[in-house]
Amino acid sequence: MTGLELRELRKTYRSRGRPGVEAVRGIDLTLRSGELLGLLGPSGCGKSTTLRMIAGLESVTGGDILVGGASVVERPAQQRNIGVAFENYALYPPLSVAENLAFGLKARRGAARRSRGDVERKVKDIAERVGLTDLLDARPAGLSSGQKQRVSLARALIREPDVLLLDEPLSHLDAAQRDSTRRELKRIQKDLGHTTILVTHDQEEALSLADRIAVMKDGVIQQLGTPYEIYDSPANVFVADFVGEPAITLLPGISGGDGHARLSDTVRVALPVPVDRGREVVVGIRPEDVRLTAEDGLPARVVAHEPLLESGLATLALDGVERHLVVLTDPEVRLAHDDRVRVTADPQHTHVFDAESGEALR
Amino acid sequence: MRKRLVGWLCDTALILYFVFALFPIAWMVILSLKPADQLFSTYFSFSPTLDGYRTVLGDSEGIPFVRFFVNSLVVSVGAVVLSLVVGLPAAYASAGWRFKGSENLMFTLLSFRFAPELTVIIPLFVLYQKLGLFDTYVGMVWVLQLVTLPLIVWIMRSYFADLTPELEQAALLDGYTRKQAFFKVALPLVKPGIAAVSLLAFIFAWNNFVFPLILTSNEAQTVTVGALSFLGGDRPKYNLTAAAALVSVVPPLLLALTIQRYLVRGLSFGAVKS
Repeated sequence: MTGLELRELRKTYRSRGRPGVEAVRGIDLTLRSGELLGLLGPSGCGKSTTLRMIAGLESVTGGDILVGGASVVERPAQQRNIGVAFENYALYPPLSVAENLAFGLKARRGAARRSRGDVERKVKDIAERVGLTDLLDARPAGLSSGQKQRVSLARALIREPDVLLLDEPLSHLDAAQRDSTRRELKRIQKDLGHTTILVTHDQEEALSLADRIAVMKDGVIQQLGTPYEIYDSPANVFVADFVGEPAITLLPGISGGDGHARLSDTVRVALPVPVDRGREVVVGIRPEDVRLTAEDGLPARVVAHEPLLESGLATLALDGVERHLVVLTDPEVRLAHDDRVRVTADPQHTHVFDAESGEALR
Repeated sequence: MRKRLVGWLCDTALILYFVFALFPIAWMVILSLKPADQLFSTYFSFSPTLDGYRTVLGDSEGIPFVRFFVNSLVVSVGAVVLSLVVGLPAAYASAGWRFKGSENLMFTLLSFRFAPELTVIIPLFVLYQKLGLFDTYVGMVWVLQLVTLPLIVWIMRSYFADLTPELEQAALLDGYTRKQAFFKVALPLVKPGIAAVSLLAFIFAWNNFVFPLILTSNEAQTVTVGALSFLGGDRPKYNLTAAAALVSVVPPLLLALTIQRYLVRGLSFGAVKS
């Protein structure tokens, strides 16, 4: 197995008469051998372009791509030995599942070309690992989305690629299939130990599958870390806002210099770190880090309460604060519109960002 | 009740149109079966004879109809094959890549279709005389590219554009070359389209009248022009013309019937979506 390294990777799309569009602006990433890295970001953030550059389907404007320590930038896609499972599966409709899997093995010429028995054995082997044995004779048109995704994965894996790239592998699956396919994906990846990049806009997918996550926006990696690091200490407002469901509440305020930030004339919240007096900040509070209290705490008015069975989601208005605070409530809590409640937030789990740059203050 | 009435009216209209559309063909069939001396009789009864066909196919009027027929086959098939060889890669390239001047090139090709042939026929005639292409197979196949090539390139372009690019990219990643990806992935998927467009191009080439009329005289003359020869001479032989015309309809008809399956699929399944 081999690692993957991206150095200062750039992509600029140029068209005549218009300024170039910088899709990827200098990405540095190092993947250990066997690691699964999630590349997470909204659409248009450059994550798919990055993936296509690694695969060799897109030319590179600047920087380097190293697989197992050797640069592959100059090599065409055919010679990179990188497996891709495409978002739309890209299965070849006239061929059966087995033929689709064998198709890739038949490409190599000369010494690398395998005998027919060898191909059959490999197809059987991979089908067993991915759980496709019963479907080998089926045509792609007759398969469910989850099955197609597994065939697509098997086709990428059968050539024993150095690096595996998964492009939104679960986005076209329904909820039930998504859960089972996700578990399968994790098992298969750990089983075979491929160095893998998973490109997705779905945080749940990234959080549950990836060893580490790189959050991307506008062609730049905003933060790189384990799922817990990303969630517990977001590097900036964007990451805080993008990761976490239900989304974090971001409230603008001014630091009082006394370990608190003033959100309005009456509302003050404790900050996790000391911040200079008078500095404009954004305070981020995750819905699960706020508690309803009986006695002390900030007074708030209930704007709405959505019971979600295993928990509830309350939208609260703090006195004089324009933005509403979203709070995750216990299942037994019943709230009605205009109820008065009190809330406290644990300062250890409160996040504070510079209002201007959006960077986390630590 | 109202619905049924509308249904009836539609049916009647369809039948009327059917009769209207088929009438010339029926008329030609009758004409071709009439003996020469009853050609102009207005009453319907006549003694049917295959003499007309015998004369036409036996070359007995001094008109080499069989050769015209073979010429048509050679020239039309040749034009379609050449257009496929040149046009498929062109369609593929213009569907997948934007290169400098690609749209202008495509538009130029299209303009061959909407510019009347008559606008270029005299310069072409002069050119052909000078180049020695006049009345040759090569000359005819070449000039028919004006008819078949735009058709094939434009229709096949939309077929190629409908293919998901990931299919070929997957093949590239598997280690196939661009050329192999084209032949092994893209081409098989557009087969129905190729069948449909080839037939269409063949019919267009077969039916072309102006080019063979001006650019051939005898050696490479095709049936469309050749069938008219029976109208010349001291007395127009309508029965022979009709027989010749009917014979010349056979190849496109047979072809259409054999690849009908592909034709319907080719026209209705524009896209191959996975």
